[in-house]
Amino acid sequence: MNRWLLGLLLGLSQVIWAQAPTQEVVLSASAGSKLGIAVPSPQVAGIGEGQAKRDFHDVLLRDLEEAGPFAVLKDRQPKAADASGVKAWVEAGADWLVSVKLGRPVVEGADRVARTVGDELEVVAQVVDVKSSKAIFTKKYRGKDAALGRIAHSLSDDLVARLTGEKGVAGTRIVFVRQLSPLIKEVFQVDRDGSNVVQLSHHRSLTLSPSVAADGRLAYMTYKGGPPEIWGQRRVAGAFERLFPSKNGPQGPCMAPAWSPDGKRMVFVQGDRRGNTDIMVLDVESGRARRITDSNCINTEPSWNPAGTQIAFTSDRGGTPQIYLMEDDGSNVRRLTVEGSYNASPSWSPTGAMIAYVSRFEGKFDLFVYKLGEGKSYQITTGVASSESPDWSPDERRLVFSSGSRGGMQLYATDLSGNTLRRLTDFAGCQSPKWTRSR
Amino acid sequence: MRYASYIVPATALVVIGAGLACKPPKTQEQIQQETQAAFNEGVQAFKDGKARDTNPYVNDKENPHKAKAWFDGWDKAKADKAEADRKAAEDKAAADRKVPEDEARRKSEAAAEAARKAESEKLAAYRRAAEAALKDINFALDKSAIRDTDKPKLQAVADFLKGFPQAKVQIEGHCDERGTTEYNLALGERRAYAAKSYLAGLGVAEGRLATITYGKERPKVQGKDEESWLVNRRCEFKLQ
Repeated sequence: MNRWLLGLLLGLSQVIWAQAPTQEVVLSASAGSKLGIAVPSPQVAGIGEGQAKRDFHDVLLRDLEEAGPFAVLKDRQPKAADASGVKAWVEAGADWLVSVKLGRPVVEGADRVARTVGDELEVVAQVVDVKSSKAIFTKKYRGKDAALGRIAHSLSDDLVARLTGEKGVAGTRIVFVRQLSPLIKEVFQVDRDGSNVVQLSHHRSLTLSPSVAADGRLAYMTYKGGPPEIWGQRRVAGAFERLFPSKNGPQGPCMAPAWSPDGKRMVFVQGDRRGNTDIMVLDVESGRARRITDSNCINTEPSWNPAGTQIAFTSDRGGTPQIYLMEDDGSNVRRLTVEGSYNASPSWSPTGAMIAYVSRFEGKFDLFVYKLGEGKSYQITTGVASSESPDWSPDERRLVFSSGSRGGMQLYATDLSGNTLRRLTDFAGCQSPKWTRSR
Repeated sequence: MRYASYIVPATALVVIGAGLACKPPKTQEQIQQETQAAFNEGVQAFKDGKARDTNPYVNDKENPHKAKAWFDGWDKAKADKAEADRKAAEDKAAADRKVPEDEARRKSEAAAEAARKAESEKLAAYRRAAEAALKDINFALDKSAIRDTDKPKLQAVADFLKGFPQAKVQIEGHCDERGTTEYNLALGERRAYAAKSYLAGLGVAEGRLATITYGKERPKVQGKDEESWLVNRRCEFKLQ
């Protein structure tokens, strides 16, 4: 009788816990502690000002805003002509003033007539520390007209490196799944800022769950052969081929591949034909796979830690979907999430310090980040619609995810404070984004 | 005067004779008409069964064209008849060959038609039975247990499979749109296996039941309400 009562009390307390997940919001550096950066319109020669604004200046401003350490000045800017008037810039809140000259390089020939050289553009960027009035950065970039956006990304990354010593992510890309028709989904990629959408897989079938290795090799699951299989590239820029199941290996539907950080192994999920799904680790070179979970339940959504020694995954072994951690041989399984009735889709951060995941609360899903050092979860999104499939930017400052606020799922990226939430796509039917530096 | 009785008639005779002897030469047109007439006579003579040597103009030295035209007509008529006879014989031979072929074809076509009809009726009956028996079953949120209300539906699936021993079924496991892509794929696999295992319990050989999961990737309806979600949390039974 006492045990019954105790059980009831425990159950009740769990229900109460489940109703009150952590509502705290991660506060990253506020605008006050960010470096004020002013980027007046570039001085343009040889190309149209509209082209310079659209293809370069707007791209650069968005890059700097999303980079993280900068507060980009938008309003009340002194005129560019007053660039020497330091006081005006200080009053506007600028620490750095970025001056850009954009045009076709000109040389004066022996006949003393100036001519443009080739069809390339030249971008000269100079950064002045406003308070000391010293030039702290000068760099010249060259490229064809179509490369203006890439030049803006390079400049943004160089400024991040100048300030923080870290490598920026302006020129990175996102691989994702896009629905093309009711029965067809394919793998695509898009630039970090939403430009240059490119189709990567062409199976005319249901193709899901992409993973990108550190050297750019792609893997995914596809229904092109009937039951889902793992396909991918054994060599960089190689053809897509079936990686699992092999002819002699265990059969059963294969899902959710993820390259190990060194690109030699792959963790994925295989059904055991008894309704259970287990985590498998495949040695890609030899084609041999090892089952590292074995229980009568669902085990899925494996995600490596950056050292390639541990795997986070989702399992319903406790009755509801929760996130667990284990060593890469399946030992030392421990439960990570304790609140809520549905925690899933773990994604280990690039330094290994955090795990992003989704949690169901009041019928919809929001993004959370679990800080391993603190043993605490922080809520990142509080949207009206469900947000899914978080994945980290390579610099660990942002998360990309899919969310269905209006007319279908689209891709979004946000910093951990939610201050610079941006939509990347302008078409519906997007899912499973993976952020990569290597494509 | 006594000679006058001779001279006058003689003269008259001479005059008449000369008149007769000096007939004017025939025109080209006349010759053509005569040739055509003789030709037609020759044709008619052949048709009347007369021999070639009955040519009436063969001795008419003054009109050799008539004799030639008559022969031409007779020869032409004979050649025409030979050609017509040959053709008729050919047609007859062809017709003689054709009769049994047609007969055989008609028979086999009728047989095939009957077989087709029987086959398509059988197929239609099979399809009707499948359509009547293979109804979706649904699941509670996050669950893969077979609901009591769906057990009669699974019994109908089992009865259908017993009634058509050749039939094989693929069980598709589906989920509603809520939850993650990969977890729902695993959940769909579970639902498909739950249905398969229940059917096996009703005596259906497992080899006739394939399973596949589509997770939340292929919803049946697009709504975002409880009713639509229940419709989408399902197993479908597809003939293989």
